[in-house]
Amino acid sequence: MAGITVRLAWRNLWRNKRRTLLALVAIALSQALVLIYDGVLRGYTDWMVDVLTGPMLGHAQVHAEGWRKTRALDKSFPIDGVLRAVRALPGVEDAHARIYGPALGAVGEEGFALVVVGIDPAAELGAHGLLSGAKGVAPSGKRVLIGRPFAEANGLTVGAELAIVGQGADGSLANDLYVVAGIVPTPVDMVNRMGVLMALDEAQGLLAMPGEAHEIVLRGRDVNQAAALAAAAAALPELRGLEVLDWTRLSPDLYQVIQILGVAWGFILLLVFVAAAAGVANTMLMSTFERVHELGMLLALGATPGRLIRIIFVEALALGLVGVLAGSALGGSLVALTHERGVNLAQLTGGGPSELSFMGIVWSLTFHPTLTAFDFATSILGVAVVSLLAALWPAARVARLQPTAALRA
Amino acid sequence: MIALAALLSLAATAGAAAPVPPDVDRLLARLDDLYRSKSSIARMEISVTTPRNVRTLRVEAWTRGEDEVLVVVEAPPREAGTATLRVGENLWNWLPRIARTIRVPPSMMLGSWMGTDFTNDDLVKESSLRKDFAARVDRRSDSPAGWWLALEAKEGVVGRWARIELLVGDDDLPIQERHFDRKGRLSRTMTFDEVRVLGGRRLPARMVLVPEGEPGKRTEMRYLEAKFDVALPPDVFSLSRLERSR
Amino acid sequence: MATPTLTYALRSIRRNARRTLLSVVGIAIGVALMLIVESFNRGKIEVFTRVGAESGAGHLRVTPAGWSVKRDPRLRLADSGRALREARALPGVAVAAPRIRAQALLAMGTHVVPVELVGVDPPAELLAFRYARKVTEGRWLRADDAGTIVIGRTIAEQLGVELEDELLATTVGRGGQVESAMLRIVGIVATGAAEVDLMISHAPLADVERLTAIAGLGEVTLLLTDWRGYEPARGALKARLGGADEVLTWPELVPDLVGHAEQENQTSRLVTEIIMLVVLIGVASAQLASVLERRREFAVLSALGMGGPALVRVVLAEGLALGLVGGFAGLALGGPLVWLLTTRGLDLSAMYGRSMAFGGTVIDPIIYGSMGAWILPEAFLVAIVATVLASLYPAWFAARTDPAQALRVAQ
Repeated sequence: MAGITVRLAWRNLWRNKRRTLLALVAIALSQALVLIYDGVLRGYTDWMVDVLTGPMLGHAQVHAEGWRKTRALDKSFPIDGVLRAVRALPGVEDAHARIYGPALGAVGEEGFALVVVGIDPAAELGAHGLLSGAKGVAPSGKRVLIGRPFAEANGLTVGAELAIVGQGADGSLANDLYVVAGIVPTPVDMVNRMGVLMALDEAQGLLAMPGEAHEIVLRGRDVNQAAALAAAAAALPELRGLEVLDWTRLSPDLYQVIQILGVAWGFILLLVFVAAAAGVANTMLMSTFERVHELGMLLALGATPGRLIRIIFVEALALGLVGVLAGSALGGSLVALTHERGVNLAQLTGGGPSELSFMGIVWSLTFHPTLTAFDFATSILGVAVVSLLAALWPAARVARLQPTAALRA
Repeated sequence: MIALAALLSLAATAGAAAPVPPDVDRLLARLDDLYRSKSSIARMEISVTTPRNVRTLRVEAWTRGEDEVLVVVEAPPREAGTATLRVGENLWNWLPRIARTIRVPPSMMLGSWMGTDFTNDDLVKESSLRKDFAARVDRRSDSPAGWWLALEAKEGVVGRWARIELLVGDDDLPIQERHFDRKGRLSRTMTFDEVRVLGGRRLPARMVLVPEGEPGKRTEMRYLEAKFDVALPPDVFSLSRLERSR
Repeated sequence: MATPTLTYALRSIRRNARRTLLSVVGIAIGVALMLIVESFNRGKIEVFTRVGAESGAGHLRVTPAGWSVKRDPRLRLADSGRALREARALPGVAVAAPRIRAQALLAMGTHVVPVELVGVDPPAELLAFRYARKVTEGRWLRADDAGTIVIGRTIAEQLGVELEDELLATTVGRGGQVESAMLRIVGIVATGAAEVDLMISHAPLADVERLTAIAGLGEVTLLLTDWRGYEPARGALKARLGGADEVLTWPELVPDLVGHAEQENQTSRLVTEIIMLVVLIGVASAQLASVLERRREFAVLSALGMGGPALVRVVLAEGLALGLVGGFAGLALGGPLVWLLTTRGLDLSAMYGRSMAFGGTVIDPIIYGSMGAWILPEAFLVAIVATVLASLYPAWFAARTDPAQALRVAQ
């Protein structure tokens, strides 16, 4: 019996090519659009997380107790043992140290405030480091790097001699001469506006803090495991007495922003889905209602209501499946295409800045649409279900009609 | 309040049988002027103790009036020759190691003085124990021998301290000052000792400042030599003089 | 031929009530969705603007010449009196707030916190500065106050002080003199974010002017009744001022926030375009289905002499009519929802706590929509454009109907 149902359904579909095609296209396009939006949403939130856990925060950070409150120079801690222990942790991809030393700088006689940022050049040259945009230029010895806003505000050019004066961690007067080796863009606003990037060992020497630093930035393989990473690091004996926090707790407000944006966009995803569902439903309802005459004929020829419903069910199922699969292929390939190259928001909507500074971070306006198996599964299920329901309901109504009434319609 | 210059009264304190409570007004006037002078040259040792370490500087300091100060570091060797010059609204640092003079912007002038526990208004000699506080003798102290005075800040006085408890020895020299903030909480304690004759004045050569509630922190300042009301060469407080290495 | 076209279109709409209903419902849902998304997006932008402006930046600001290059708080307006007068007299101004800023230290005993002390005119500041309305202990400054200060909770905690305590405020005034004054705490503001609390230390204008020992105002910040008019307002104010003082606009004052709002705007437009596409597809398929079903009908009409162009007009007329009705229905459906979103907002505070801070401002986690006259034209535009566009292919298809073939196949 099933065989006949399927064959009838199949033949029905083929017989009315245009109607079939119409329904298929509606379903496929709607599914494609839902997937595209989903890809954009996921890419966008992933990108936000990526930027936030990039150079500025990493996945987790280690500080001396109380440093984050006052950023006092003398609240540093010895790093060698800590770095070794932390790098040995499974799941840690990278760990490097930083120094933050407020000081006074001068080119001529006029002093201006700055922050000496001591960094590990090799580590920060990586994709997630402060020097990721520096095109391979790194500070070393007396050669330092600065940001463009800082250079412009204080009249510094490449090759300029910069005197730096400050208080060392032991209270002594720290002072030395440096050469501006390059003006580089960093992803952290504060560094661009006030920072002087210096090799870590040089900063340790200048600020009289041998073997010490203010911050260790940890990076794991999976950003979603950041909390576990922080907990594992905190449990190490070498880190006793130090404060270890994952990025959501280091910057709860940034984290909240992501969450709220996620909810807002998710709300819109819901709307997109509703729109798509409405479109699909409309199409299927329309198609089915238009077939009243045809269905009436089948009833008159002796088909049972049950059989009728089953036929329509198989039709709708076939349509739905093929439609979502086609749509998934279309949407999925579009996302895959843009995933590598990324989508530049500025280009897409016609002009605007190509990067902007917000909440202390410089954001480049390119994000990468992404889809996961979960996204495919949910949208396929959703759209398919809607198609089925939208076809079955009118079918059920028709099935209960008297054949003559149906024929006359 | 530290009063950083004065003429010491030549009246000897009576070490006689029944200690007589001092004339408070005269006593405070003397204390205000203890370290004050129209000009001075002094060598001092400053020790700052923090939980991390102890740092000792030896400096030579010239002052004229309230507006001109030159401080040159003699020791430790790492910082020797570093100098700070203040003339009116300008503050410069001379850094011999890099042979540079740098002007400190006004916004950065308010911090603690040279990393010590002294505040900037400690160094501005505008506040006066006698004028800003209503004082009375509180009680006698037998060991060390002296009088405890209770000073309450007068209405409308601008300053950190609502109350100061001052222990003055029978020789009219300060032994201890306890500063209470505007909420009446003990904020810091200063002790004075090593009484010597410096620049013709008899005064405590050593001051120790201990802030309350910050374990492991203290600042010591000790006069090695001092000359008060001396004639200073005219170009002492100049940048060029600053830059010549000392 | 117009009247028969319209008559036929209307009659065919009425004749198949169910199909019409389905189409209209489809359009209505699409339109309602667009309205909600648009309201949402506009609301977000308004929130950013309002919050940014009321957090101190304002919509316009009169500043001394050269301030935009190096933001030195010691600079003063060339003619403070005139600046304030003209600012208050400018049409479209909600409030003009004069201010003086000074780098200062607030001290209680040996506890010291560096702040930017802001001298303000209390009643004006109450309107211009949203945190002035967030005093959790004590009160905001009063017009007749002297020697008082309102500070953020974090500052109070770091100093270990409370209401009625007296703080020593110290600045470096003109001539390098260290100036001090006692300020009594009359109010404490808790914004919910430590970094924002640290930015709040407000005292009466006269007190700060005396402390800095530099006469005059450092700035006059204006809030306009309609923030969108800031560019022309700037021109008008600059003309009235003459002189060397500059007038800066909100985007120049907080480029950060503007940048983010722009970014949000652009991504929102992307979303809107996607939804528009979805709506379009839905409507198009419905129209096409209806045309397909009526092939025999069209064939008959064609055989009776109604030519291709006529059929196109018929289908388009139907589309137009449907669009109109759909627009109304979309308004009826979406209007109340937008109104709800605008007044009640999407309240996320249950999830995220009372408030969240970012970029130096604090916002409440309630996303409000925005409602305005734009709703009417937008609803109809979307409905009609979508339907007419969607009817184009079906119309063309209908025109190509071959009567003979259509009549032969029993569809």
